[in-house]
Amino acid sequence: MGKEYDAIVIGGGHNGLVSAAYLARAGWRVLVLERRHVLGGAAVTEEVFEGFRFSVCSYVVSLLRPEIIRELQLSKHGLEILPLDGTFTPLDDDYLWRVNDHGKTVRELRRWSLQDAEAYDEYGRLMVDMARFIKPVLALAPPSASGFKLSEWLPLASLGKRFQALPEHHQAVFLQLMTMSATDFLQQWFETDPLVATMSASGIIGTFQGIRSPGTAYVLLHHYMGEIDGAFRSWGIPRGGTGAVSESIAAAAREAGAEIRTEAPVDHIITRSGRATGVALSSGEEIEAKVLLSSLDVRQTFMNLLDPSELDSEFVSELSRYKFRGSSGKVNLALDALPDFTCLPGEGEHLRGAISFSPSVDYMERAYDDAKYGRFSRRPYIDMIIPTLVDPAMAPPGKHVMSCFVQYAPYHLTEGNWDEQRDAFGDAVIDTIAERAPNIRDIILHRQVLTPLDLERTFGLSEGNIFHGELSLEQLFVNRPVPGWARYRTPVEGLWLNGSATHPGGGLMGAPGRIAALEVLHAHRDEAA
Amino acid sequence: MSPIPSDAIAEPIAHSPSDAIAESIAHSSYDAIVIGAGHNGLVSAALLAKAGLRVMVLERREEVGGAAVTTQLSSGARAPGVAHSVERFDPGLVSRLGLDRHGLQLIEPEVAAFCPQGDAPALTLWPDAVRTGRELGSDGQGYLELDRRVRSLSGFLATLFRATPVDLTHPGLQGARTGVQLVRALRTLGEDGKELLRAVPMAVADFVSEHVNGSALRAAVAARAVRYTAAGPWSAGTTYQLLAESTGGGGAAGRTLFVRGGPGALGGALAAAARAAGAEIRTSSAVSAVLSHHGAVTGVALSSGEEIGATAVLSGADPKHTLLDLVDPVELGPTLRWRASNLRLSGVTCKLNLALSRAPVFTDAPNSQVLQGRIVIAPGIDYLERAFDHSKYGRISEAPFLEATIPSLSDDSLCAGEGHVMSVLFQYAPYRLREGRWEDQRDLVAKVALETLEQHAPGLSDLVEDVQVLTPEDLERDYGLTEAGALHGEPGLDQIFSWRPLLGHARYRIGLDGLYLCGSGAHPGGGLTGLPGAGAAREVLRDFRKTEPSGHWATLPLIGEGRDEGHEWLPLEGHDDTASPGSSEGSKDRQQRDAP
Repeated sequence: MGKEYDAIVIGGGHNGLVSAAYLARAGWRVLVLERRHVLGGAAVTEEVFEGFRFSVCSYVVSLLRPEIIRELQLSKHGLEILPLDGTFTPLDDDYLWRVNDHGKTVRELRRWSLQDAEAYDEYGRLMVDMARFIKPVLALAPPSASGFKLSEWLPLASLGKRFQALPEHHQAVFLQLMTMSATDFLQQWFETDPLVATMSASGIIGTFQGIRSPGTAYVLLHHYMGEIDGAFRSWGIPRGGTGAVSESIAAAAREAGAEIRTEAPVDHIITRSGRATGVALSSGEEIEAKVLLSSLDVRQTFMNLLDPSELDSEFVSELSRYKFRGSSGKVNLALDALPDFTCLPGEGEHLRGAISFSPSVDYMERAYDDAKYGRFSRRPYIDMIIPTLVDPAMAPPGKHVMSCFVQYAPYHLTEGNWDEQRDAFGDAVIDTIAERAPNIRDIILHRQVLTPLDLERTFGLSEGNIFHGELSLEQLFVNRPVPGWARYRTPVEGLWLNGSATHPGGGLMGAPGRIAALEVLHAHRDEAA
Repeated sequence: MSPIPSDAIAEPIAHSPSDAIAESIAHSSYDAIVIGAGHNGLVSAALLAKAGLRVMVLERREEVGGAAVTTQLSSGARAPGVAHSVERFDPGLVSRLGLDRHGLQLIEPEVAAFCPQGDAPALTLWPDAVRTGRELGSDGQGYLELDRRVRSLSGFLATLFRATPVDLTHPGLQGARTGVQLVRALRTLGEDGKELLRAVPMAVADFVSEHVNGSALRAAVAARAVRYTAAGPWSAGTTYQLLAESTGGGGAAGRTLFVRGGPGALGGALAAAARAAGAEIRTSSAVSAVLSHHGAVTGVALSSGEEIGATAVLSGADPKHTLLDLVDPVELGPTLRWRASNLRLSGVTCKLNLALSRAPVFTDAPNSQVLQGRIVIAPGIDYLERAFDHSKYGRISEAPFLEATIPSLSDDSLCAGEGHVMSVLFQYAPYRLREGRWEDQRDLVAKVALETLEQHAPGLSDLVEDVQVLTPEDLERDYGLTEAGALHGEPGLDQIFSWRPLLGHARYRIGLDGLYLCGSGAHPGGGLTGLPGAGAAREVLRDFRKTEPSGHWATLPLIGEGRDEGHEWLPLEGHDDTASPGSSEGSKDRQQRDAP
C-alpha cells in the first residue's frame, strides 16, 4: 500500500467515529479529521455557559444500535445511559402523562378513554413486533436500485420470507407503517386527541412534514426502534450529555489504534484521474490514504469538498434534487429553578421525562402550516427535557439545564433571514412555554437559540437538516442518498459515504457508520488476500 | 381497536339462510349478481354475460350509471351528474363491449386545460405538448421533459392497472411470475425505471418542480393529482395520483374527454351492452344484505325483503359499505371488520352544475375554444395547498380549487338555444364539517364558487339561470358514495395496488367465498376507468373455471389470454392454473375470522 493511512474518515461525528473504530479494529491505519475543537458532530456536549453543560444538538439516546454498544464495548469506554421516564403533555387545564410503569399509564389513559386504555396494550405489542421485524434492515446495505444484482437482493429475500411468516394483520400494519401518516395510523387505535398528537410527534421529528402527511408513520417506526438493553421504545440520556456517546466511541476507536485529530478542517478531497487519493487540510497539509470515508452530508461532500464539474452531470443533477429542508431548531436554557406547570404545579416526577408541547392534532398541523409558507411556527411543537433532573452534574448545584427541540423552523424563510429572526424565534419558544409554565421567564439565566442556519454553520448540517436529508419515502433505503448509489460507494472511486445521508438514515444510531465500514472492509478483503 | 367481541353475538344474526333456503339457493337462477349499476358494475356484468354467465344487476337508484349519469336541471339543460369527463375510461373496453355500437360517442376538445391566473397571464395546456412547450417560453424545455416522464411512468402504471395485483401475503408461483414480468417491464423503462420508486411516493409539488419553475404551470399540472383526494400538492404520494390520472394518456396536461349526451350516455351504452349480452338489470332495487352460509355467498336480500340466489356476488359499492353494511359481521369476523372500518375514503369535493343563459366570457381567454376543455382555477401551488389546509380543520375552502367544464361548448345535445351548462368540481369541502351541517352550507358553496369564478369571468353570475349544488352529504345519500368518497377510497400510498382496498384482499375476492369487489374500491381504483369491473369479472371467471374444471365453465374464455376479440389485454396475467383457487383465498378470510 505504501501510504501513510489506509483510511481517512472526514468528520468526527458519531458515524465517523463508529466507522473509524470498526476499521481500526480490522487492523487498518485510520485517521479521523474533525473540523471543530470537539468531537461528536451533532452529538456533542459543550459548556455553553459557565458551569452549564448542554447536549447542544442531539439530546436523547435510544436509537444507538445495540450491536455497536456491544461490539465496541462502549460501556467499558464510559457510556452510561440514564433512563428517561415517560412523556408529559401539558394541556390548558389538564395533562396527559404516560410513564414507563405500564399500569400507571393505562390508569391515566382510562381517565381519557376506556377504549384507548385497552388499545394501548395491543398497540404497544404490535409496534414491538414491527420493530423486531424491521430490525435486520437496519444492519444491511440496501441493494442498488439499478441493475438487479442477485447478491445484493438476496439479503432481502430472507426479509420477504419473514414477511410471509407474519400474520396477515401484522403484514397489513407493517404496510401501513411504510405508507400512512402518523396520525391516520394512530387514529385506528386511539381517539384521545392529545394522545394521538403526542404519539404522532415522533413521526415528524427532523422532517419537513406534518403529522398528517403520508410517510410519517415510517418515521414513527424509525423512532420506535429505539432500544436500550433490548427493550424497544426506551429512551435515555447519556451521563455527561450526548457528547459522552461520541467520547466513548472515540475511546474505542483510539484503543483500536485509530488516530483522531480535531481542529483539522478538510479543505478539499484530492482526486487523481477520477480517483480519491487523499485530502488537503485548510492548513495546506496534504494527507494520502487508500480509502476516504466522508461522514458529511452529500452537499458538503460533493459540492464543497469536490469540484462538482469533475462529477458525472447526471449524478450532480440527482444530488441537486436531494431534499434537505431543515425544519427544526434548538433552544437551550440555563435555569435558576424548575419550571412550574399550571396544569400540574410543583416539582414532581412529571418533569423527569420528556415534556411534549403537542396538545392537539390541530395544534401540530397549524405549526406545520406556518412552515409550509416559510415562517417559523408561532406556536411550535416543543420536545423539552431537563437533563439535570437525572444528571445533576450538568449544571451548578441547584441550577438546571433545559433542552428544547423546536419544530417547525424552516431553513428557507419567506421574509427576512435567520440572523434577524433568531431572537423572535427564541421568543416564540419562550412564549409557548410560558403559556403552560408561566414562571419560565423569571428563571432563565441564559438562553442559546440555534436556528437551522446555525446548525448549518456550526455543525455542517446542510440547510439545518438534523438527519442529513429528509427521511421521506423517496429518500430511503435504495434511494438514499440517490437512486443507484445506496451502497455507501460513490461515483468517485476510493470515496465512500458513511454518514446519516446513507441508509438507514439519521438519528444517533451509528448504523450508517457501521455498515459502511463493513462494506469497505468487505470490498477490500479480496484485495488484501 | 374495538372489534365486536365475538361472544357478544351469541347467534349468527339475520341473513344466514336456513338449510332449506340454502337448498333452494343451490338451484339459484343466477350465476352472478352485481350490486350497483355504476359503470364498473355494468362492465363486470357485460363481460360476465358475454362469457355465458347468467347475470343480474341490481341498482338502488332509478337510473343506471352510478356516478356516470346525466342529470336534468330545472331549466331543462342536461348536465353531468357527478363526474364530468371520462378520459380514463379504458379504450380496450370500448372496443371489447362494442360501446360505440351501443351509442357511445366520445368528444375530445382541442384544448386539455385552460388555467386563468388573475394577475398573471393565463396558461393553456394543449393535448400537443410541443405546442404547449412553445407557448411556455423558458419552461418549455422542462415541460417537454416533464411530459415525457409522466408518459413513461404512467404508461408503466397502465400496465399494472390491467393486471390483478399479486397477493403479497401469499405470493406463491403467481407472485414470482408476476415479479419477474414486473422486473422485465421495469427494465423497458430504462432510466425511468430507477425513477419510479423515487417518484411514486413524492409530493406532486416536488415532482413538477424538478422540471418546471413557473408557479402557474406547476399548479396547473399538480391540480390534477389532488382532484377528488383529501390531499394537497405537498402531501407525499400525490405524484402517484398524478401518474394514475395520466394513465388515460395526455401526458403532463392530461386528456379531457367528454361523452356526447353527458356521462350518463356511457352508463347507458354499458347497460345496453350488458343487456345485449344477456344480463338482466333491475333498477329501484336496493340490496340490503349479502346472504351467506358457512362463509360462502348464497345470494342477496333486497330492501323489499325479496331474496335472490347466486353463486357469486360482485359488489360495485365501496368496500366500507360492502363489508360493514351488507355482509353479516359474524361471517366477516372482527379483524377484517375492524380493518374495513379504518379504510380512508372521506371525500372533500362538492359538485356544482350551473345552467347559463349563454357562454361565459373569461377575461384572459383569447377565444371560447380554450374553454372547451377543463378550466382549472388553481393559481399557484400555495393556493392549492391553502385550499387544502381548510379541509384539515373541517372547514370549506375560502379560496377553493375549482375544475370547471362547459361540455355544451362541444356537445350541442345538452342545451337548447344559446344556453350552456357548466359543471364545477369544488375543493376542498370536507365531508366532516367541524361546525355546522352540510344542508346549511349549500348556498355558501354556491356563493364562494361563483365569486371565485367571477374573478376570472366577470359577469358570469348574471348568466346563471339555475344552480345545483351537490354537497358531500348529497353525494353520499344520492349516489351511495360512503363518506362522499368519490374514488371509493383515498388513493393514498396506503390504499393502492396489492393493498387496495386491504392487503391480502386486492385480488377482487373479499370477505366471503364468492364475494367480489368490482367497484372503484378495488384495484386500480377510481377515476372512471372501468378496469376494476373488468378485473373482477376476470377473477370471477377464473374461479368458475376452477370449480368445474371439466364442466361447462372449462370452455369459458379466460379474459386475459388476449384471444378474445383479438384484443391485447392484461399482459401480466397469463393462463393461470397454478395459483391457489379462489376458494382457498376465501377460506383465508375464514381463518382470519377465528383470529382474536
